[in-house]
Amino acid sequence: MSTSPPVLAAEGVEKHFRLGRRDIPVLRGVDLQIHAGEKVALLGASGAGKSTLLHLLGLLDKPSGGRVLYDGAPVHDLPVAERARLRHQQVGFVFQFYHLIPELTALQNVLLARMMATSVLGYWGQRKQARAAAKALLEQVGLGDRLHHRPAELSGGERQRVAIARALLAEPKVVLADEPTGNLDSTTAKGVVDLMFSIQQERGLAFLLVTHDEGLAGRCDRVVRMRDGVVVA
Amino acid sequence: MQAFSPFLALRYLLIRRINLLSMFGVAFAVWAMLVVDGVFTGFVSDIKANVRDSAPALLLTGLPHDTGYEQLRETLERDQDVVTTAPRLRHHGLLQATMRSALGARGQRLQVSSELEFDHSDNGFALLLGIDPLREPDVVPLAGWLRRGPAELRRYGYQPEPSPVLDDPDPTRRALLQVPDEVEWRARRRAGLPTERELADFRAVWPGVLLGWPRIRSFRWLQEGDPLDLLVAAFPTTDAAGDAVLRTDSRPFAFAGWFGSGNRRMFDETTVLVPIETLRTLLGHDIHDLESIDLVTDVAIRPRDGLSDAAIAALQTRLAAAVQPLLGDGALPCVVYDWQQQNSVFLSAVELEQSMMEIVLFVVMLVSAFVIYATMHMMVVQKVKDIGILAAVGASPGGIGRVFLLCALAVAMIGAALGTAAGWLCTTYLNEIDDFMREHLGAELFPRNLFDLDRIPCHLAPSWIVTVAVAACGLALLVALVPARRAARMNPVLALSYE
Ligand SMILES: Nc1ncnc2c1ncn2[C@@H]1O[C@H](COP(=O)(O)OP(=O)(O)OP(=O)(O)O)[C@@H](O)[C@H]1O
Ligand SMILES: [Mg+2]
Repeated sequence: MSTSPPVLAAEGVEKHFRLGRRDIPVLRGVDLQIHAGEKVALLGASGAGKSTLLHLLGLLDKPSGGRVLYDGAPVHDLPVAERARLRHQQVGFVFQFYHLIPELTALQNVLLARMMATSVLGYWGQRKQARAAAKALLEQVGLGDRLHHRPAELSGGERQRVAIARALLAEPKVVLADEPTGNLDSTTAKGVVDLMFSIQQERGLAFLLVTHDEGLAGRCDRVVRMRDGVVVA
Repeated sequence: MQAFSPFLALRYLLIRRINLLSMFGVAFAVWAMLVVDGVFTGFVSDIKANVRDSAPALLLTGLPHDTGYEQLRETLERDQDVVTTAPRLRHHGLLQATMRSALGARGQRLQVSSELEFDHSDNGFALLLGIDPLREPDVVPLAGWLRRGPAELRRYGYQPEPSPVLDDPDPTRRALLQVPDEVEWRARRRAGLPTERELADFRAVWPGVLLGWPRIRSFRWLQEGDPLDLLVAAFPTTDAAGDAVLRTDSRPFAFAGWFGSGNRRMFDETTVLVPIETLRTLLGHDIHDLESIDLVTDVAIRPRDGLSDAAIAALQTRLAAAVQPLLGDGALPCVVYDWQQQNSVFLSAVELEQSMMEIVLFVVMLVSAFVIYATMHMMVVQKVKDIGILAAVGASPGGIGRVFLLCALAVAMIGAALGTAAGWLCTTYLNEIDDFMREHLGAELFPRNLFDLDRIPCHLAPSWIVTVAVAACGLALLVALVPARRAARMNPVLALSYE
């Protein structure tokens, strides 16, 4: 495994935010490597820069310095449309606040992930398979009977399961989860985490999980701690 | 195009009620464009056709006061593009009617000039147009005018018959527009004028006068053959000191019929047609006097059919140049006007009205475009979080922008389709709708009588429908570009954390 390059890597990644005239350093050179099939927990105090790092790794934002590499190739400087395409192929995001589109049903929210890479005609041609795949995923996360519910009609745990299904539909290599259980009670949280880990196991995904929960971190293969914009352990 | 753009655009469209407002705005603007422009185009082309019928193709005017027709005719008709010409003599005069009143039954006559109405729109004043009834039909549709006059009056409930004066087989009588002997004889008796006892002994002497049909407002009781006194004033001579002497003259004419040229406002309401020879005599140019000239103020010219606009324009300058040397030294330049120039005041008023309407309609379009802009802008602001989510799932900025562009386009297309359908229905059934409103609601959409129209004219050109619909969609896309760019350029991280 060590011979192949890490699916996701950060090399000396820096990020500053400009607030008026002040330059606020949030990340000051973060090095991180995640290999396929690896579960990594990212811990750190609030404000340490965990979410910021996740956004940079997921190509939602550009680093101020350093490099982000996918499968050993630098990707942080690609044009914006190319980064969008890579993000879609490579990464699935799961957020603390689910981030589902309120107008769409659970099924449509998941299907949206399929509509990113295909053209209108292309999607029309494969819409049956796409629906079948989305349904299968929603059934796998235990929402087979909630396909046509809007997010507002679902509980927090159910919404997070929809978000997980959406993150997985495009079959990414990496899942970046930012406090996915932060908004759930412990029982629900455990259910969601069990589900994520089982799918991770099944698909051999790389998993980067931001959390404040030491217990949850303990279930991961590796724990990375951050403080003030650097990795400390 | 990524498949999510049209998918989400459609979702947003269906879920956001505010889009109905935009759609309605576009539909209204398109509807108004089609109906108003359709009616206006129809109206203007009808008016132009009418005005066209009321004027000769070309008119030579700006002649000195003592110009004779014969030499002009020779010069003008020598041109290969001129088919024929007709003399015209304009002057002003007053019409007085000899009216049989209730008193008339006891043998008294009552002279009135006319019934003066308070609205200042009609009176006995007349712009006299002396025409040669033998030549005039070659330059304007004179017989058509005599059918049209009674036709217009029938719309107002009168029952006149077309005048028979042009049907007279005797050219001398026709040249004087004379009514049949029997008609004049009866009219004389009606007016209590001395006349032969027996119709067989009577020969008509009054020349005829043709009145524009709107004058019926002053002469409701007028019957064919009734005497009308025409009074003119002119300065034909000078006294010993060289000062001009005002001479008035009057003589009875027989009412010979109503005409309608198609140009009510600028012609029918003001003009009275009289035989040119009679008018010349009234102005002091006795036809039996060998010294007298065959006086004209204008010459109506009929050019060859099928000349291009450029050829007509060239002919105008050519004829004016050819005539100028005949007018003597020091004469002001004469001009040859085409039919549009002859009616320039009227036509430019109509055109101005149309461009005013177009400006108003353009503003309606702009307002509807602004409504689209506002709703799209609002949607982008409301959907900031969705924009972040889409970016996180892998949407490109272009794809995100297109969601809003497509939404605006769909709004405009649906609105334009509704507006086109409504506009088409309204213009097709415009007269039925107007009839219904008039009968059941007492409201009239379009004052037909004001414009002397039987039906509301309406020409809806397919090219105009397409232009309006495409313009509405184009305008919607254009204004949606701004909010769409805003959405596309949004920082996804900030959008995701937006509260
Ligand atoms: N767009 C921004 N502009 C300015 N400062 C920012 C911006 N985004 C983040 N920061 C700052 O960067 C620091 C790190 O933020 P980040 O969200 O990465 O922390 P975190 O480790 O995820 O914290 P938490 O555990 O509370 O989620 C914070 O101090 C935050 O104020
Ligand atoms: Mg965070």
